[in-house]
Amino acid sequence: MTTAVTAIRPLLTPAQRRRREYLVALLFVLPALTNFAAFRYFPIISALRASLWDYSLLGGFGNFRALGQYARALEDPVFWHSMRVTVEFVLLKVPVQVVLALGLALVTQREVRGMGVVRSAIFTPVVTSMIVVSIVWAMMYHAQQGLVNSILVSLGIPRQHFLSDPVLALPAMTVMTIWKDVGFTMIILLAGLKGISHEYYEAAAIDGASRFQQLWYITLPLLKRVMLFVVVTQTIQSFQVFAPVYAMTRGGPQDATKAIVYYIYQHAFSFQDMGYASTLSIIVLFIILTVSLVQMRVLRSDVEH
Amino acid sequence: MMRRRLGSLSVLALICSLLLATTEHPALPAVLKAEAAPAPTPTPPRGKVTLRFIVNQNDEQIIAFKKILEAFQKSEGGKWANVDLALEAVPFAELFPKILTSVAVGAEMDLIQADGPVMKHYAFNRVLQPLGKYFTLRETRQWHPASLAEGSFRGQLYGPPIMQSCSMLMYNREFTDAAGIRPPTRLDESWTMPQALEAWKKTTRDLNGDGVPDIWGVRLGQGTTYADYETGIWRRSNGDKGSNTFKGVADDGITFRGYLDTPEAIEAMQFFQDLHLVHKVTPVEPIPNIFESKKAAFMVTPDNRVGAINRLYPDGSFKWGVTGIPYFKTQVCHTGSWHYGISVNTKKFNEALAFVKFAAGREGSRIWYNNVRQLPANLEIYNELPEYRAGGQQDLFFEGLTKVGVPRIQTPGYQEYFQFFLEMATNISTGANVKQEMEAAVRRIEAALRRYSGWNRQ
Repeated sequence: MTTAVTAIRPLLTPAQRRRREYLVALLFVLPALTNFAAFRYFPIISALRASLWDYSLLGGFGNFRALGQYARALEDPVFWHSMRVTVEFVLLKVPVQVVLALGLALVTQREVRGMGVVRSAIFTPVVTSMIVVSIVWAMMYHAQQGLVNSILVSLGIPRQHFLSDPVLALPAMTVMTIWKDVGFTMIILLAGLKGISHEYYEAAAIDGASRFQQLWYITLPLLKRVMLFVVVTQTIQSFQVFAPVYAMTRGGPQDATKAIVYYIYQHAFSFQDMGYASTLSIIVLFIILTVSLVQMRVLRSDVEH
Repeated sequence: MMRRRLGSLSVLALICSLLLATTEHPALPAVLKAEAAPAPTPTPPRGKVTLRFIVNQNDEQIIAFKKILEAFQKSEGGKWANVDLALEAVPFAELFPKILTSVAVGAEMDLIQADGPVMKHYAFNRVLQPLGKYFTLRETRQWHPASLAEGSFRGQLYGPPIMQSCSMLMYNREFTDAAGIRPPTRLDESWTMPQALEAWKKTTRDLNGDGVPDIWGVRLGQGTTYADYETGIWRRSNGDKGSNTFKGVADDGITFRGYLDTPEAIEAMQFFQDLHLVHKVTPVEPIPNIFESKKAAFMVTPDNRVGAINRLYPDGSFKWGVTGIPYFKTQVCHTGSWHYGISVNTKKFNEALAFVKFAAGREGSRIWYNNVRQLPANLEIYNELPEYRAGGQQDLFFEGLTKVGVPRIQTPGYQEYFQFFLEMATNISTGANVKQEMEAAVRRIEAALRRYSGWNRQ
């Protein structure tokens, strides 16, 4: 009687196993990392370099300016005006959009017949092109021929110059962007609401908590992490507003909607001053970064569920 | 490495051109000196060749390009039958950024529809190939001298012209007849601005009584923006011939203080603002195709409007007329128009050159005119066009071109100026303080154009 001896591969040590897992994980994220490196980090580094020079797309690199372009930005009244317009837009849009989206999410979270259609209807603008809807809304807002003014006139309200009145232009544009983006925010908040266990509400109900108390003491605290994501991403997105400005107002009337990214675009492609455009881009990058960090700090949640 | 090599080559080319320029008669443009050296015959192509052509988004013009291509393919016994065009149509406001980025990134691009005032900018920045040596004296003489000058930079031809232009005041006869207005038919009897304003007031009509005109008195320029081509006329018109206001920019091409912001220029732009907000004869928010859709009685426009009307009303139901462009002190229309340019990026130069020669030649220009109906730059075809003879329907445009036409301001930074001017005029039309707006525009333009200092020195 003979005994067959099989060669057994030695087991991996924990360190080796960890290394192998890291390698596999790295392979999975490599495409995304490559994408980030090529289309995010490299342009940022290029912009940082260009911001130190006189640089135009056609003329190439000119004089080295060191921090001269940054000093120029600090003295540029249009830059400050554009920043103010951008901040106004963010402050008008983000709170209204988040509150509206939360309301819609609370309403549409109920599983009743036809609710899927309602959710789809609210979400539909999200999948449409921003340029297309901007052009359509600009036509709707037109002082003489627009649908909105026709409705106002039929109600006995005088016509409004939505896009040619410096007071009305930014709010009018903000309304359109909220309509466009609220569906996305609603879906994210809806997912957050679905993740909250019913047990909390049942327990609160037994304790006699009202609907409002349930919302205030259960829903909102447990939604804080999702809210943080929504607020940060919407703030970043709003700081970068460009397409509606470009398609609806071109920064007008009288610079009332000249948001910072449109101003950067003008310098890069209309005024042939890519160096200064890069400088402004870097400044905006740091502003957005700072605002996001502050938001993360303020809205940090200690509640786990 | 490549960039450095290109840089070195361009410096070398610049030095060579400077050396050559010093040995030649300075007053004679290079295009006129090419007679001695006959242009090389383009090599016949073999396979299918598609030329990528960035063009202005305009229905009549795109139709014209396609018809010119058909004729080109049949020309010279079908020698160019395998050449095709891939037209990339871009809205006017986007044309320059599109060309700029395409060149900068080395994108495949063969032909460019280039706006006249920007030709010098393109030449200065080496966007276009110099073409002077490929055209004989006889060939260059077929074009209007102003077009030739506009398509040239430092005496070198960079782009043969597609057409010429001069804006007049077109009107809808249905509305002028209803208002009992008979606009002058002779250029020397043209209305002054106050006289034109009276006509615009009479033709502005609110038919349904909702407080908003259904027919506006006038649209001041093509498209829906206030570009320099038409809007830049007002300020220059309010200056005496030769004055700084009339010139619009200093001879150095980059100084605007004392030219764009003179009291006369400000007065003219105040009048422009009042047309919108005080007299309310033109809408603050522009209405697309307002004249063709019969919502405006008058329109300041070149005669390409005739092409659009012919296309939209083939039964001739739109009865139009033309009168001289109104003026303050000096009657002015801006001249110049589109040019063909061959990109420095092209790898199909022979085919591109052959197409440009054909398109800007007699046959191509005739096809263009048949579709677009704007003043030809090719002088040879005027004999075939009775509408430009005395008493013809479009004769005022030709008379205007020759008698009151001036090129737009000459600067290599025209594109930057164009953008600032557009913003300034738009802001003024919506109620901005005219003086402050124009002074701010001067500051911004001069800051942006500082880099061109010394551009026109040989």
